[in-house]
Formats: sequence, C-alpha cells, structure tokens
Amino acid sequence: MLEKILPDEIYNVLAKRVNFKSINEIRIRADKPIVLLIGSQRTFLSHSGTTSNIKEAIFASKVMVEDIIFRASECSIYSVNEQIKKGFIVTKGGIRLGIGGDLIEENNTIKTMTNFSSVNIRLPHEIKNCSLYAFDYLIDENKVYNTLVMSPPGAGKTTFLRDFVRQLSERNYAYNVLVLDERGELDIGTLGCIGNFADKISFAKKSVGFENGIRSLSPNIIVTDELGQEEDIDAVNYAINCGVTVFASVHCDTIDNFLRKPNFEKIIKNKLFQRYVLLSMKNGPGTLEGIYNENFSRVRL
Amino acid sequence: MKYVLLILLVCVATFIGYVFSKKYRTRANFFQALLYLCQKFDIEINFSRERLKNIFESLDEKNKNNLKGIDKNFISFIDKEVSLEKENLFKGITFLKEDEKDLIYTFFKSLGRSDVDSQSKEIKNFQSRFETLVTQTNAENKKYGSLSIKLGVIAGLLLVVIFI
Repeated sequence: MLEKILPDEIYNVLAKRVNFKSINEIRIRADKPIVLLIGSQRTFLSHSGTTSNIKEAIFASKVMVEDIIFRASECSIYSVNEQIKKGFIVTKGGIRLGIGGDLIEENNTIKTMTNFSSVNIRLPHEIKNCSLYAFDYLIDENKVYNTLVMSPPGAGKTTFLRDFVRQLSERNYAYNVLVLDERGELDIGTLGCIGNFADKISFAKKSVGFENGIRSLSPNIIVTDELGQEEDIDAVNYAINCGVTVFASVHCDTIDNFLRKPNFEKIIKNKLFQRYVLLSMKNGPGTLEGIYNENFSRVRL
Repeated sequence: MKYVLLILLVCVATFIGYVFSKKYRTRANFFQALLYLCQKFDIEINFSRERLKNIFESLDEKNKNNLKGIDKNFISFIDKEVSLEKENLFKGITFLKEDEKDLIYTFFKSLGRSDVDSQSKEIKNFQSRFETLVTQTNAENKKYGSLSIKLGVIAGLLLVVIFI
C-alpha cells in the first residue's frame, strides 16, 4: 500500500536503502527534512538511506504532502472527509496518516481540513507473541480481566491489543470478541490478525459502537483502542455493567500520571479495570514496564 | 470494369463522408457520456461516498465506450501508472478541440480533491458547461453529420459524371 501513497522518489529510497520492517513512523512536513522513527531512534531520510546530517536529508515539499494525502484517500478526499476532520486517514492495511493543516469551521463544527502541511505515516506492525509475556496475568481460570493497556504514543498499545486478541483465538478461548476499531488500526487486514472469533465495528464513535455492538453482536469481550473522552469512559462503564469484559488502551506514560488523568476518576474509583499493563519505549516499542492490579500494586515486574 | 470502378468511387466518397459524420456523432456521444458521468459522480459522492475508481468501473458499457478511453486513462492515473498530464489523459482521443480538452482536463484535475460539498458544487459547475457542449455537439451532429454523408454521395456522383 505504501508504494501507492508515497512519491516514487521516497518509496524507492525506503524500499532499497532502509529496512521497511524496522520503520515505525515517517514524518513528512512541508519544506522540512523527512524524519524516520526506527525503533526509538529518529533519523533523517537521505538518498543513500538514513543520515543524522540534516544537510544530506531529503526535504519534502507542500505539493508532496498534499499528494500523499490525496493518494492515501485513493484519489477521493471526499470519501475520507469524516476521518480528515478528526485529523487522520487510515488506509487499507491499517496504515494511519496523521494530518496537519488548516481546520475549516462552520457553525461551530469542523467542516474539513485544507492547506495540508504535514503528514505522519504510522506503519502498523504485527509482532506475534508480543502480548505473551503478559497473557497469563490477564486471564484467570478462563476469565479475562478488564484490562487497560497504557503507554505513550507509538509505544505498542495497538500492537499489544491486536496480538492479545489473536492469542485468545490461537489458544481456543472461544469468546465472542468485538473489536471496536474507531480509527481502523486494529485490524490491519493480514490473515488471522484479529483471530477467528472476532467481529469488528470500524470508524464508529465508542459510545455508539459499544451500545450497538452489545445489542447486536452479544460479545463476551470488547477490545478497543485509545480511551480519552468522558463519553468513552461512560461507554466502558456501560459495557462492564452489562457483563462484558473490556480490553482497552489509553495514552499515558506512568501510573502516577494516569491517576491524575482527567475523565478517568470513575474508572479508578469504581475499580472498573482489574489489570493495568504499562508499556514504554525504553528498550524499543512494547517494553513491558509492569502489570498492576485494580489497586495499582504490581502483579508482575 | 469501368462501371465497377465508378461504383467503387461513389462508395469511397460516401465512406469519406461517413467518416466525417462519425466524428460529429462521436463528439456528441462523448459529451453526453461525460454529462452522465457528472450526474453519476454527484449522486455517488453525495450518497455513498464511493471512491472515484469504483465509480468509473461501475459505468455501463455504452457510456464506457462513448468515453473513448478517457476513463481508463484516468484510472491509470489513480493506479499511479501515469501522471495526470494532458497527453496521458487524452491518449487516443483525436476528436476534441483544444479549448474542450482544457475544460475536460480541468474537470478531471478537480476530481477527488475536496470534501463532499465543494466537490459537488464543482461537479455541478462543470455539468452546466458540459450541458452547453452537449447541445452544441448535438446540433453539429444534426447539421453536419447527415450533410457529410450527403456531400460524400454527391462528390462521388460528381466524380462519376466527370470521369464519364
């Protein structure tokens, strides 16, 4: 898919001179050097591969940024405008493009984004067994704990969630899993990436997805990415009260910061989650910092 | 033998007239198909948010034929096989005037570049301009299409009279 999105000049260098599998992010900003995130290292893209010397870096143009976004929409910006309004586009294969530009507002609602100035291409990775070291702590006598996976952006939350769903399926835990894929990132379209027992609702707000999903698909477990808004927390609360297990993620770098996070008081006070998994970038994305119980005492590490 | 050659001459002259008349018919059909494409775009974009490639591919055979390959040339651009240059878009199309090519090129360049409202307004704008061209080319076809065949027959007969 990346070859359909990127200009040939950039794609050819990446394909021939850089190991694709190692790239986590490609940041392309108008009139700025192209930056790659490889593991936890940032480096410039040059014609010979990667460089730390800015003078050798390939600079992107505004036309290049606009062309990438146009291509990512399959030459149909209008078809992804709802995503663009939220600041991203997700392509087939789960490649997520975060977009910077001018938001156009009309009657207090965002109409669209124009004048694109930057794009952050996040490449999804399917790292098999990356949740394995935590798996046994998140399951007890065939019951999956309500679990919240925490990490800073780009530290492997989504990859962890995806692998957890696959692990459940591989170990024949025949739960009905509902994957609420609000941003289209969880299911990257590879064979079996979300297992054999998963249904999927994509691009729906969590409040809508939880309610509709529980009514129509009767899931045992709901897996969803990036809780944040108060309505997300209410949706989680609703699901748990309905007897559905929730496996979710949130942006946060430490337990202390999580405890101070706005909107999450209800979760902490009511002990909605029994397990918290903290990931970091310390030894590369997906580094397990610890697993905690509902009282935030470590159960592992 | 002489009469056979003379009949052949009439046939050739008539055929030349037919070729000229076909050009007018092709132009009329082309703009009619382009107008239909605009209407289809407007509906699909507003209601199903269907992607451009799918809209082109779902065109019926008759309109596809009448578009004379411009749809395929644009799909090649969507598939990143060629850039959206004028010569790539009008590859194999010889019956359009330069100003018509400019208008159609601008139309194709505007496709897929904006949100639903803006795209729809843009399409409607082009639609009204294509409507004018449909009227013009239909009138041309009516006037010069049959005239070309008649002129071909007359020219053939005239040559026969001269040769006799």
